[in-house]
Amino acid sequence: MSASLEKGLNALREQIDAPVASFFTSCVSCGICAEACLFYQETGDPKYTPIHKLEPMRRIWSNEFTLLGRAKSMLGMGRKVTEQDLADWEELVYDSCTMCGRCTLVCPVGNDITMMIRKMREGMSASGNAPEELVAGAKRHWEKGSPMGDLLPALTAHVKNVEKSTGIQVNVDKKGVDYLVILSAQEVAVYNEVIEALARILDKAGVSWTFSSEAFEGTNVGIQIGSKDLAREFVSRTVNAAEKLKVKGVISPECGHAYQALRWEGPNLIGRTYPFEVVHVIELLDRLRADGRLKTKGMDHAKLTFHDPCQINRRGGINHEPRRLLNMVADNFTETEDAGTMNWCCGGGGGVGSNESATELRLQAFQRKKRQFEAVAPEKIVTMCAYCHHILEESLEHYDMDIEVQGLTELMAEYLEDA
Amino acid sequence: MAYQVNGQTVEHDEEGYITNLGDWSKELAEVIAEAEEIEMDDERWEVVNFLREYYDEYQIAPAVRVLIKALKKSMGPEKGNNKYMYELFPYGPAKQACKIAGLPKPTGCV
Repeated sequence: MSASLEKGLNALREQIDAPVASFFTSCVSCGICAEACLFYQETGDPKYTPIHKLEPMRRIWSNEFTLLGRAKSMLGMGRKVTEQDLADWEELVYDSCTMCGRCTLVCPVGNDITMMIRKMREGMSASGNAPEELVAGAKRHWEKGSPMGDLLPALTAHVKNVEKSTGIQVNVDKKGVDYLVILSAQEVAVYNEVIEALARILDKAGVSWTFSSEAFEGTNVGIQIGSKDLAREFVSRTVNAAEKLKVKGVISPECGHAYQALRWEGPNLIGRTYPFEVVHVIELLDRLRADGRLKTKGMDHAKLTFHDPCQINRRGGINHEPRRLLNMVADNFTETEDAGTMNWCCGGGGGVGSNESATELRLQAFQRKKRQFEAVAPEKIVTMCAYCHHILEESLEHYDMDIEVQGLTELMAEYLEDA
Repeated sequence: MAYQVNGQTVEHDEEGYITNLGDWSKELAEVIAEAEEIEMDDERWEVVNFLREYYDEYQIAPAVRVLIKALKKSMGPEKGNNKYMYELFPYGPAKQACKIAGLPKPTGCV
């Protein structure tokens, strides 16, 4: 057995805890998870059945953690997991799963399949079976602060530009303010309009906030690649900065897995609760709306629809907030089929969008959203995740669909009173 | 691996991106373009110049979306679009044009 296989198998063993054991025991092989999976639905290929994506981990559990399996193993029976198995499963674990969470939601016996995929990736990355793009992204994140390299000069330049265009002072490393704002690399590098939008909204609402030059990056390659050590380090950077600046809260950006990382996995990763609150930016805007501190003027009359990011809605719990905000500024807001908690993924989450080997499959999977958008025929699609934004734009262009995509924070800023 | 320009040797990585960004010159850009089988004209220079100015301010290569948006303004919608950019740089306005502009290979988010 090679050292890397042994490392991977040990990492997988380590992931098999009581919930995982009970999930494997409970699975009744009903196949409902397949019906919920974007990749199975759009290809019809049974290998994309979510529970099947976990077969190597299931086999380890069966061979080593069950009485019957152990007895069989002693007699030389029971299929062992080989190096080839892990290589074969890379596509199933990374390219064809966005960890969107639909399978978990429909499982009749309550198996959290998505969480098991997350755990399975721990073994895959340990054995050297993670996609090269995620490995390279993790390296850049570790060494230079973000999966896109060192973005501090870009952020600094954007801050300066925003101050010039709005006359609003944007704090960096200011202690004692209410909130620390973090962004996603995609926002700093591509959708930087959000910085000005946020500065204007928060200024108007009288919310004090700051960026941190040490922690402004919300993405977390550790979550995507499946490495709790990396994930812990990246979350710790934000936690340390928030504690140093003594803020009351951290505003999680329009980025799906950033919210998953900081809000839901974070305290478990670092082994303690935070002395501050984590709030998603859209959640905060909705609170400001309720308090009468976010006031808008005018209405967008264009036909708009909304794309729910899986990690923020289905797996994050933020469902009504964006809709209350949209209804404030849009009078022709039309939902797509399955909108809300059971929304379909854009196809790029969970690291899939960065894996070049997954591009063709991802675009095929996008056909689900394509049909849904065609049925509504919107002029604009609004969302609250910069990566969904990016994948939607890319996929729409691939299918020659000329529809604008916009982040919700940016849309709200457009209709800000006295804007 | 290296480019030869004016009797000087300029090192590049296995994909052709120069190792030391300070080594870039207009002459070098022509040499890299030639290696890429691209002939530099005014429009290609406009893209390359934009990339260099952007990099100078933000220390990152602009995303294709940012590049197209800017070129739409300067070149008009006829030319400032994705399709036309691929005509100019068949291997992608981000990757190929950045290589000629002497910038690091663009990276993506996850």
